[in-house]
Amino acid sequence: MKAGKRIGYVLALAVFLILTLGPFIWTFVLSVTPEYAMMEKNTKLLPDEATYENYKELLTAGSQKGSILITGIKNALKAVGATLVIGIPVSMMSAYALSRMEFKGRKIIRNLLLITMVIPVMATIIPLFRLFVDRQWLDDVFWLSMVYVSSYLPMVTWLMSNYFATIPKELEESAMIDGCGRMASFLRIILPASYPIILSAALIMFLNTWSQFQIPLILASSLETKPVAIVVSEFMTKDSVQYGLTAAAGMIAVIPPAVTALVFRRFLISGMMGGAVKG
Amino acid sequence: MPNLRQNNMKKKILPYLLLTPMILIMGVLVFYPVIATFSYSLKKWKLTAPNDIHVVGLRNYATILKSDSFWYSFRNTLFILAVVVVLTTVLGFLVSVFLNIDVKWSGILLAVAILPWALPPYVNGILWKFVFSSGYGFMNKLCIGLGLVSRPVEWLSSRWSLLVVVSLVVTWRSIPFMALVCLAGRQSIPEGLYEAARIDGGNRRTIFRRITLPLMLPFLGIGITSTSVTAINVFDEIIALSGYSDLGKNLLVESYLTTFSFLDFGKGSAVTYLVMLFAGILGVFYLRNLNREVEY
Repeated sequence: MKAGKRIGYVLALAVFLILTLGPFIWTFVLSVTPEYAMMEKNTKLLPDEATYENYKELLTAGSQKGSILITGIKNALKAVGATLVIGIPVSMMSAYALSRMEFKGRKIIRNLLLITMVIPVMATIIPLFRLFVDRQWLDDVFWLSMVYVSSYLPMVTWLMSNYFATIPKELEESAMIDGCGRMASFLRIILPASYPIILSAALIMFLNTWSQFQIPLILASSLETKPVAIVVSEFMTKDSVQYGLTAAAGMIAVIPPAVTALVFRRFLISGMMGGAVKG
Repeated sequence: MPNLRQNNMKKKILPYLLLTPMILIMGVLVFYPVIATFSYSLKKWKLTAPNDIHVVGLRNYATILKSDSFWYSFRNTLFILAVVVVLTTVLGFLVSVFLNIDVKWSGILLAVAILPWALPPYVNGILWKFVFSSGYGFMNKLCIGLGLVSRPVEWLSSRWSLLVVVSLVVTWRSIPFMALVCLAGRQSIPEGLYEAARIDGGNRRTIFRRITLPLMLPFLGIGITSTSVTAINVFDEIIALSGYSDLGKNLLVESYLTTFSFLDFGKGSAVTYLVMLFAGILGVFYLRNLNREVEY
């Protein structure tokens, strides 16, 4: 790179990093700032001394706040588990049928599924709320997870059928000539070839489930079901004075998805691109 | 040959068998509720008056369309939509140009770039609330330190500055997707086209106008329509930044408040349907873009 270009690049890099990571860094600074320093009216950006009391309080199961936050994390993880166990097989089966089989009504089913991608949560949540009250599902992570699954299926099925369509048909045909049934050829040919897309789909479902706020706000009000984002929101409204503690809770809530995104970036990016753009 | 016929039958019903779980889930948890919501919207139905539920036709819609509260939320929705779409398109494109530069740490930069997309929107809102908080938050420390203002600014207490902050946070979360779609578009253009254009003596501006822009248009279309649907459906960030107040409410918050604070299921459902109409029009363009991409 030429000198002028290099300076331009470094500047762009700095702006990009500050705007992307700035809010995390600032929230981290707040989370280690002692309560008394937070109230000081000055323009110092960093506190004179750092304290890790907030993290200690939140990560000990004995403290009241800590146990609520830990329960919220567990609830979110339970929902992640349930959505993956149900969502991955269901979307794979649908994607396989929609991308590699000829049958009546294929186009209609595909389009109806895609259309649900643009239906806002609020358009379904009122009858769902009634259903959940009637059936006493409000305290049940399983049914909550089913609602999440219903909101991911269109996107994930779309992603997978795009991918399945790129696997050459001849591979499957030759397996069937060799005496494999449809099921066996799916298990031997399609499944092994599609682990990257399964991983992408799983990552997208994990991140989305971890992020849920609007659905659990209405359908998961009890301590046994409410996920981590709802718990953080309660810290915010009930204890708006304790900025440090809320900041620490926010940091804890972003660490699992952030680490996942950094580690599995390749699969996540190909998944994001594959959902919107083919190939 | 009964065996063969049986086999044939199996072949015919197999796709439907494979689709059954999906159809059941979508039917019970999406299609039934969407229709039920419409029937609710035609009823007078308040949880505070459980014995007085009856069909009123389109009266809920008429009341809503005459209320100031609806139009207040509508204008807020439009404001957020306009700011988010314009900023996301411009900044997302710029980020994609930046990410397309090949350096040693490209992979890591790409991972950092998708972070805002990967994290809970509600928590994102909280992070930004700390940046813009009313006392000595980061923005105020910065502005006072630089001598731009003498007293802390109340960023989140007036309608338009709150909406600007909401739009910025939503833009921040929408840029990664836009940038990736643009990146995919840019990388789909064969290098040979550029070489040919350069040999023909095209300068940078004509190359951009004649090659890069037209070939990227379908990708931009996907990015812009998907961003629009996101921008209409903002909820988490508004709650994070301003709580359940009326100040920065958009149509979705209006629908939530009507339904779950005022317990008016009929009117709440009607508001939702109006939002869906709005989002649905954009959604049709989105799906059309997606499908076009498939044929190509």
